Amino acid sequence: MRRRLPALGVRYLFALPLAAAFLFPIYWMLVLSLNREDAILQFPPHLLPQWQVQNYVVVWRFVNWPGLFANTIATTAGRVLLVMVTSTLAGYAFASMRFAGKAAAFGLVLAVYMVPAEVTLVPNYITLSRIGWLDTYQAQFVPLGASVFGIFLMRQYFLTLPKDLWEAAQLDGCGHLRYLWSIAAPLARPALVTIALLQFIEGWNAFLWPLIVTSTDRVRPLQVGLAAFSFTDSTRPELLAAGAFMTTLPILVVFLIAQRQLVGGIASTGIRG
Amino acid sequence: MDPSTPLASSPAATTRTQGGSAGRAWLGAYAFLAPAFVILLAFLLIPAVWVFGLSLFRWDLIANNPTYVGLANFQRLLLRDDLWWQSVRQTVHYTAVSVPASMALGLLLAVLLDAKLPGRHLLRGAVFVPYVTPFVATIVIWIWIFNPDYGVLNALLGALHLPRPGWTHSADWIMPAVIIYGVWQHTGLNLVIYLAGLANIPAELQEAARVDGAGPWRVFWRITWPLLSPTTYFLLFINLIGSFKVVVPVYVFTDNSGGPDHAAETIGFYLYQQAFAFFHAGYAGAISVAFFVLILAITGIQMRFSSRRVFYT
Repeated sequence: MRRRLPALGVRYLFALPLAAAFLFPIYWMLVLSLNREDAILQFPPHLLPQWQVQNYVVVWRFVNWPGLFANTIATTAGRVLLVMVTSTLAGYAFASMRFAGKAAAFGLVLAVYMVPAEVTLVPNYITLSRIGWLDTYQAQFVPLGASVFGIFLMRQYFLTLPKDLWEAAQLDGCGHLRYLWSIAAPLARPALVTIALLQFIEGWNAFLWPLIVTSTDRVRPLQVGLAAFSFTDSTRPELLAAGAFMTTLPILVVFLIAQRQLVGGIASTGIRG
Repeated sequence: MDPSTPLASSPAATTRTQGGSAGRAWLGAYAFLAPAFVILLAFLLIPAVWVFGLSLFRWDLIANNPTYVGLANFQRLLLRDDLWWQSVRQTVHYTAVSVPASMALGLLLAVLLDAKLPGRHLLRGAVFVPYVTPFVATIVIWIWIFNPDYGVLNALLGALHLPRPGWTHSADWIMPAVIIYGVWQHTGLNLVIYLAGLANIPAELQEAARVDGAGPWRVFWRITWPLLSPTTYFLLFINLIGSFKVVVPVYVFTDNSGGPDHAAETIGFYLYQQAFAFFHAGYAGAISVAFFVLILAITGIQMRFSSRRVFYT
């Protein structure tokens, strides 16, 4: 037992500075967002914030934040709901229904898993322009509305449910859809929460695809608006940092509330979404 | 595990499932699969095949008049396009530095934070949070951290009497800047997956080695590291694929320019530019095909290696 204390000390000696280095840019975002302009253009930099909350009031006037937030919330909600529905239905069919061509259908899902999304950028852009979906909300989430990981996760979860449940439900005259809606899906809540969390993060942070398929502020999400703001030459760094922090805060809050579940979900997949 | 199997044996159900209901059950299953399959087919599988066809055309997305050109796009790409080969080299450079660095850091942190260390959840969270925060919001801050004149990084280097590079303003230093960002952003993932790998190693093995007098260094290299090899191979694979695809950091760090002398241009970014800055749909299709082949090659190599060399417990 006496040897444990110095061992812990050595761990802290390495882990604390490393963890601090990783957290620093997030801290720096907050510090920059609360600094006065003159402090940012001083060298060496001030490491503590000056609490100039005014920056947040000023940046609010430069960008249509309410619109960007509304667009991000709408497309993120659409994405979360769509992936939850498609994963639940397909996962249930693979776990609990018998049908011809099941192995082939499952093989197809596996094949999709090998396709890097980047390869589909150009064809999908052409598809969306042909069906008139460019510069819409649905263009930003419908193409991403099915997740191979989500289907696998729901299937795994439904496979663990006891058969008696389904038999009892059948005797009560329950069909697949009602059994799924009122019994199986509620029992699979941990898996659904994992999917919802991962899709929320992906949806909230979405940048490249919305950048490609949107062209006006009417439907553009936060990160695209923030990038446009940052590319404006006259943008002051403390205002940019304030904007960046506003768009990051919801992610930080969700992370603080659901760290375990989020980390667990990501560790089990190795990918976001 | 199929809940519909026991049905046939239950007398009450038998009467109901006779007749045409087997066909209806199939239909039902396909109705359940349909929403996911329509999306997966329309936006992933069909495009992945379509892109091969697209690569045989010259097509300006705006003018809408595709011309069949055979393999001309590939000829140009592989034989005459210096910028393509530069972006390939730079993608390899990005991958070759960022993947080992990020995996080594992730492993080091996992070993440090694996113990019942008070405050370990806080420390793990600090390393992991960059992985879930938005690219754009964090990169605009990193651009200020890298600022040659006012940035906190050069202030630190100056205080240590080290040279102060131009970072994103310099053709030599913009790639290191993007790599540092990539390592910062991605190490949290490696950390949590290594932690999951460590949790799967039976504690008695390390305990037994320690009782036999092995120090922590020996325990790590003789017991922990070999038993972690499935995790390491899995991580190597997803890190390689992930870093080959890097686009957004290049876009934001360079203000959609690829950097001074295109020094930060990667395959993914070059694909994005050809498609959506120059609207060369056919040529971008050819780049997509080349990229697809590269990714499949990595996948193939990974599958061969993981079946041969990995130590499974």
